[in-house]
Amino acid sequence: MPWFLHLALRQLFPPGRRFPAFASVSILGVALGVASLLVVQTVMNGFGEEHRLRIRESFGDCVVTAAAPVERPADLARALRADSAVRSAAPYAEGPALIRNGDFSAVAGVRGIDPSDPDQPARRYVAFGSFDDIDDGRVALGAGLARSLRVRVGDKVELWSPALAERAEKGRAPLPVELEVCAVIRTGFTEVDDRAALIPLRRFDDLWALGGRAHGLTLRLKEPAEAESVAARLSAARPGLAFIPWQHVKRNFLEAIRFEKTMLFFLMFIITLVASFSIGSTLFSAVIRRAREVGVLATLGAGRAEVVLLFALQGLLIGMIGTFAGFGLTWTILTFRDGILGTVNRLFGDGDMVASVYQFSRVPLHYDASDFLVAAFFTLVTTAAAGLVPALWAAGRKPSEAMRDA
Amino acid sequence: MPEPVLRAAGLARSYASPAGPLSVLNEVSLEVRAGESVSVRGSSGSGKTTLLQILGGLDLPDAGKVEVLLPGRGLCPPRMALGRGVGFVFQNYQLMPELSALENVALAGRITGVPSDEADRHACELLGQVGLAARADHLPSKLSGGECQRVALARALVNHPTVLLADEPTGNLDERTAEEVMSLMLGVVATLGTALVLVTHSREFAERASRRYVLSGGALSPA
Repeated sequence: MPWFLHLALRQLFPPGRRFPAFASVSILGVALGVASLLVVQTVMNGFGEEHRLRIRESFGDCVVTAAAPVERPADLARALRADSAVRSAAPYAEGPALIRNGDFSAVAGVRGIDPSDPDQPARRYVAFGSFDDIDDGRVALGAGLARSLRVRVGDKVELWSPALAERAEKGRAPLPVELEVCAVIRTGFTEVDDRAALIPLRRFDDLWALGGRAHGLTLRLKEPAEAESVAARLSAARPGLAFIPWQHVKRNFLEAIRFEKTMLFFLMFIITLVASFSIGSTLFSAVIRRAREVGVLATLGAGRAEVVLLFALQGLLIGMIGTFAGFGLTWTILTFRDGILGTVNRLFGDGDMVASVYQFSRVPLHYDASDFLVAAFFTLVTTAAAGLVPALWAAGRKPSEAMRDA
Repeated sequence: MPEPVLRAAGLARSYASPAGPLSVLNEVSLEVRAGESVSVRGSSGSGKTTLLQILGGLDLPDAGKVEVLLPGRGLCPPRMALGRGVGFVFQNYQLMPELSALENVALAGRITGVPSDEADRHACELLGQVGLAARADHLPSKLSGGECQRVALARALVNHPTVLLADEPTGNLDERTAEEVMSLMLGVVATLGTALVLVTHSREFAERASRRYVLSGGALSPA
């Protein structure tokens, strides 16, 4: 170990001292800065990933639409399935409907699907009942919608579609369709859970009078990440249809999340900057206090570069240890995030803030190695710079002045 | 007669003061040979420390030239010889408070590129010579003033300097400890054949050097 590193470590962590105040407080400051930065980044990643997943699961990897409802959707689905990039293709139709259980009613987003399709993502989110029971007389409801209607599996609900109103005799109210609730779905995505009602596409066709047409198709791709290029290729091959990759379905929303994450990075990085300034000022006082030692090192033959390294390394070491401590703190906070958020909500909030604002039932997270690398890089640069300035000042002094002034 | 290991010729140094330049050294010349001890006495502010710092390369003269013998390199400017050709002992010991006695001594070796194992071994030997082998692992805060000065002496000698520059090495010690340290210093440099330039207020210690000077009015004259 070079002598300046040995001495830097000893000056940071003097032997015989249980609590090296300067090092401990500085490391804690950096760790808090890094942790706040990474907690925010990881949670923002989680929101982004959750939204991307929900978008893909709700709309497929690629949505196929046209200016008018798609004619012979089964034929189109068969043709698209023949493409090497497509794993499955399923027609769908969707529309709003009034849904009621006695005195409780709601507007549902009804979606006509193929219940036998093994790729239907809603299968993974069945909380009660059976997805396979969906048929012409049965419906699957989102958990929030079922709660607002006060229904459980086996209960009946009444549904009015716009087409039923058109069919009713003039001056008479349309008659509803009665459906039995066969499944309750809980995705954790409030937009889906509070509105979704899933019925077979054939039944939707009856209720909305589509005449065998569909509003579009959802494609599942073998490589969802390549949806943009696949959509561009399929669009070029079929000019009458629009192929919208999942990345574009709610593009502005995803961009807003990305932008929010970038802005939060810079805001949170200010904490690390403040910690670095604190390190710089404390190191400056240490350097002034140690001026005579700097002079002594010169008498022992230490070069200026080595004196610079001695003090700059102290800033860097604090940065390194603080960064790793920050990583640990980040992991701890994120592991217990729901408990922490629950406590904060109990103390300051008035309910399930995450679910109501961000449409998720728990705080999502997604670890991204690049966030950790970027945070570590910027933290090390700033803490090293914080140590470098006093180090250059110390090394620039004449040994005779350093020894006289101390 | 052996060649000088320290040669200073025509040294001049002045400091700026509100009343104009204050000359502290004026045409000072000095030659010291291996094994020789030279004392410099003078009143406070007479320029003794300035002379020592210029001789050791910590400060530059306004005029004149200093050369120190660096083994293998011949006579060279003292700044090049810091740590190897020149060793310093200070009044306040100036030990690194976070390092043990052994580490303080070995540090001087490690700074000049000696591998740490070898530096530690040599530091151990020197601590033995100054009577501190049993206290090698102690921090300076756990050592007495005399012990600290003995560690500082070992540190100054660890790289076999040709010249040892001692600035009031007994100034912070009681009479008995000062006597012990001075005897030890003179004995060790005599054994090692190191030249000694001793700056001191004490007439008694100055008298024990082989050559004695007084610095007054910027001029260095034999006592």
